[in-house]
Amino acid sequence: MAQTRNAVIVGGGTSKFGVRQAHLLDMIQEAMRACADDLPGLKPADIDGLIIATTMAGRHSSALNTAPLVVQRLGLSPTSICIRVDTLCAGSNSAIIVAKGLIESGIADVILVTGGEKVYMPQRWETNYTQLAVNDHDWDSAMGLGVPPPFFAMIAKMHMKRYGTTKEQMAHVSVTNYGHGEGHVNGHFAGRTLTMEQALEARIIADPFGLYDCCPLSDGASAVVIASEERAKAMSDRPLVYLRGTGQHATHSMSAGWPGDTLAEWPHLKTAGEVAFKNAKLTPKDIDIAETHDCFTISEIIELEELGFCKKGEGGAFVASGEIGLNGTIPTNTDGGLLVYGHPFGASGARQAIEICKQLQGRAIHQVKDAAFGLTHNLSGTCAQHTVVIYGKEPVK
Amino acid sequence: MAELQKAEIVGTPALDGQYIGEMDIWPFEAPEFNRIYPFYDNLRAGKFTTTKCKKCGHITFPPQVICPKCWSDELEWVELPQRAKVVTLTETQAGAPLGFEPPLILAWLTFGDKGPLKHLLGRIIHCKEGELKEGDEVKFVTFSVPAHPFEVKKDTKISDRVFYAFELVK
Ligand SMILES: [Zn+2]
Repeated sequence: MAQTRNAVIVGGGTSKFGVRQAHLLDMIQEAMRACADDLPGLKPADIDGLIIATTMAGRHSSALNTAPLVVQRLGLSPTSICIRVDTLCAGSNSAIIVAKGLIESGIADVILVTGGEKVYMPQRWETNYTQLAVNDHDWDSAMGLGVPPPFFAMIAKMHMKRYGTTKEQMAHVSVTNYGHGEGHVNGHFAGRTLTMEQALEARIIADPFGLYDCCPLSDGASAVVIASEERAKAMSDRPLVYLRGTGQHATHSMSAGWPGDTLAEWPHLKTAGEVAFKNAKLTPKDIDIAETHDCFTISEIIELEELGFCKKGEGGAFVASGEIGLNGTIPTNTDGGLLVYGHPFGASGARQAIEICKQLQGRAIHQVKDAAFGLTHNLSGTCAQHTVVIYGKEPVK
Repeated sequence: MAELQKAEIVGTPALDGQYIGEMDIWPFEAPEFNRIYPFYDNLRAGKFTTTKCKKCGHITFPPQVICPKCWSDELEWVELPQRAKVVTLTETQAGAPLGFEPPLILAWLTFGDKGPLKHLLGRIIHCKEGELKEGDEVKFVTFSVPAHPFEVKKDTKISDRVFYAFELVK
């Protein structure tokens, strides 16, 4: 299909992430409020499409058909699209891909992409129990595979064995991201700091992971506005941030379908990245800043490898040499990422998009100088699917 | 009165102890609820099986209704190897989902390059924490899991269930 016009991200905001005393719909309203603060010119009537990304809403908030609930609470009256999407941890990144297509094709003009989760229930056991339903229930889950740390711990062990990655190198990821999280008051661990010593001496969650190698499960919501170029210009006089290219690659739902030689190779992410770079007409060298899915420290290391920011197997040394810091070759998770800002599954992709938007507009809290191209990445489930979106200050020509 | 209600009504009395299928951790194994029930019948006979495509020969796991390679629905049941090697493993003491007693030991298993099943996540049972090592051989083992009720017209039947895991070959 011939592309008739460009889609841009205009702005957005998040609720406070954390263990919240709030309903899912309360937090989506908080995210809308933060989005409205970011875009003072935006009114409910400006929005003609809504995409809500959530996984837990059906089970944890008894909200199976979530989109109309959001319409009511946010005062929307969408005319082009009104849907819920669910790709677990990639939910709102998937929604941004859908919004891009709808806007470029002319079906929609201004879409609110929101994502949110209420993870914590009146009794804590339910949160871990629900995780059995987000994997392939009758197979891997019936083996006891629920919460992610055990699976990613095996990934880390394989990467350490095959490529010599160390716990110290993994700790560089969490320490760097804690530095980046400073000042992000809505983050789950806002106000906290982390030293290398604290990271390495933390209690073990699942060998080799200590506490700080693992992102938290968070309640929270985020909201971003994706619009046509002309509507974006009318709404805000900030620099335009274009959605240049996207890729989403899924290969399996349970362990028997794992596509890699071992758990340390993620060929499905490599493919998702290649598709996105091709569509964006860019290469990894062009990217100034990345928001990758740091659900665990090892995840960020493998993602930097498979996305082409460093050589396969060299991710550990790469993060330890400071390349993911603000002055490195690829500043990564400059808002603290999942490790520090937190991880309400469906909200994370949009949270990443907000950081890229602000960086490319030159108004981020930890600003990367002259950032012109940015990338977001989510993985979903037990590393079953990868979603990549590439942004730029110039559209694809 | 308000205080009395607070003390006496806790939880979801409307459910009155009902079985809640959507909260079940095991599959609905009865033929009334899936088309791959021979897998569970075979488990009861001590066999680890899956479906093979009669058209293209592809063997897939888990068993399916159509072949994922060629979409043929002409499939047959074949046996899988019952022994595997531990590539890596993880042991969970705290945070295992309800229904799985700690230590919950999960292993990334390989069935060798020649087999139809390359790798699989398997729970290792009858094993103490620290006992399992990389490179160990494990074997397929079956066990019964809780039954569930289901309605057939005016009757309520009980579906007995079975599942599988792996244990260390000593
Ligand atoms: Zn076939």
